[in-house]
Amino acid sequence: MLDRQIGADLFEPIPPYPPRTEREGEFYTLGDGEMFLNVGPHHPATHGVLRLVLKLSGEQVVDVDPVLGYLHRGVEKICENSDYYHVIDQVDPLEYISSLFQEWAAVLSFEKLMDVEVPRRAEYIRVLSGELLRIASHTLYIGFLALDLGGLTPILYGFIERDEIVEMLAALTGARMLFNYFRIGGVNGDLNHEFMSRLGDWMSRAAKQTEASAGLLNENEIFVRRTRGVGVLDRAAALSFGVTGGNLRATGVPFDVRRAHPYSVYPELDFNIPTRTEGDSLARYLIRVDEVRESIKIIDQCLHNIPDGPVMAKLPRLLRPRPGRSWGACEGPRGMMGVYSISDGSDQPFRFRIHDPSFVNLETVPALLPGNLLADTMAIVASLDPVMGGIDK
Amino acid sequence: MDRTLKTRLEARLADHLLGSVYQRHDETEIRIEPGSVPEVLRILHDAVDLRFEILADLAGVDTGEVIQVVYHLWSPMTSDWLRIIADGLSRDDPRAPSATFLWPGAEWLEREAYDMFGIVFEGNRDLRRIFMPPDYTSFPLRKDFLLPDDAARSPGAGVRHVERGHGPAGLADDPAAGIRRAPAS
Repeated sequence: MLDRQIGADLFEPIPPYPPRTEREGEFYTLGDGEMFLNVGPHHPATHGVLRLVLKLSGEQVVDVDPVLGYLHRGVEKICENSDYYHVIDQVDPLEYISSLFQEWAAVLSFEKLMDVEVPRRAEYIRVLSGELLRIASHTLYIGFLALDLGGLTPILYGFIERDEIVEMLAALTGARMLFNYFRIGGVNGDLNHEFMSRLGDWMSRAAKQTEASAGLLNENEIFVRRTRGVGVLDRAAALSFGVTGGNLRATGVPFDVRRAHPYSVYPELDFNIPTRTEGDSLARYLIRVDEVRESIKIIDQCLHNIPDGPVMAKLPRLLRPRPGRSWGACEGPRGMMGVYSISDGSDQPFRFRIHDPSFVNLETVPALLPGNLLADTMAIVASLDPVMGGIDK
Repeated sequence: MDRTLKTRLEARLADHLLGSVYQRHDETEIRIEPGSVPEVLRILHDAVDLRFEILADLAGVDTGEVIQVVYHLWSPMTSDWLRIIADGLSRDDPRAPSATFLWPGAEWLEREAYDMFGIVFEGNRDLRRIFMPPDYTSFPLRKDFLLPDDAARSPGAGVRHVERGHGPAGLADDPAAGIRRAPAS
């Protein structure tokens, strides 16, 4: 009896308060033969502390209500109370898998605010380290997508690749995940011997390794049949949801901030924006595989073209930009990372707004899941590649 | 900076603009009344020479005197980001029309702005808190919400913050009972 009571308290998905909105009231009213199933926030298949309240009819999902906020730390508020230099390490843990991109968006915004000219060598180093991290992030994505579909092997290979890249970046930046490497006006340190020798080793087999990992899944019948035609997001819906990144390109829209709105030295580099038209989980996966190939191409060009020179602009110790507003955006592995900052003339940003792509990508889940089977829910969520650190801020 | 965008915007939106179009770096900025948000967004989205089809961001801003809603849009027709500032929402009762009629994806962004600033978006079907607990009563990103004094450089340094308590709903309505102050040390 006691156990049942405790269970009822812990796992009751119906909120203990009256519905606050029409939508909430509608969702938490059960129809004939429907039931609620609470998934997460602590569940091995959810990526981080995501909680989904599913409304099921038999094994079919009828509706879903994602519940966020379990990892909310108020990063925007913390950034508004720290000075411009400190903001960069505050934004690191947002997308902890690819934290350089969040730093990049922040420094892009600040550099516009302060009219700082970044040395070209620093720009090349940013692109080089960013593309390496994009590959690391995509290999993890591919591995975890397969893991959620029951395939254990790809994640092991994914971690081999990722570990190599992360160790390489540790040689460059001093940290494996939370790099705190980009600075307003440049980067924290120049390329060093250990980084370059590790990178050379890795580049000599990267292309081959990518093809081998891709073959493992592309030709796997179970994987393909469980992702093809599942979780289809069409072009119009993707645009209306504001989805960016690979998830948008999988629906046929060639929107990539690197090309659509060039920053850094991307206009000088030669690479393609892979797009597909199917918009299903398989297309989202294949886009990532193609992007890894493009990133290897970009790294190769960076290594050939990188100029000599300083890696930091000359800046005062205390930054007090003139009052103004600026929006900086860059293309992360999951989509457009944006930062809107307002300066009031003091040494702290007056407003620091973080736009995280995973947040918007996750928003499509209530549109994608209904009609699918319970077993496919996590595969669809995983194919959108959410990172809860960024979503919950 | 796209100079032609300025003339196109002025031609299309002459009745709605507050002040002139401001351009800096690769950003173009316009200011409008909150009431004209739906019309302006509709024109920007549909006009053949504008086609701002991606809502890049929607954010609230508290300037200390007024609340603003800031939209960032992207269009394939220009190399600029467009920023729209819906200016002059009152801090006591900030209300703005929702953008979900055009971009359903604005729903969560508006929920976030509601959660952090208390901006009520009229027309959003699901305006509830998204990050903070449902029984929370403060709006944390407002400028009068001060951090506790462990953030030594916060404007509230030395002052324990004035977040309202997490008590039952009835308690939160009573300001005296709801405010939780740390004991003086």
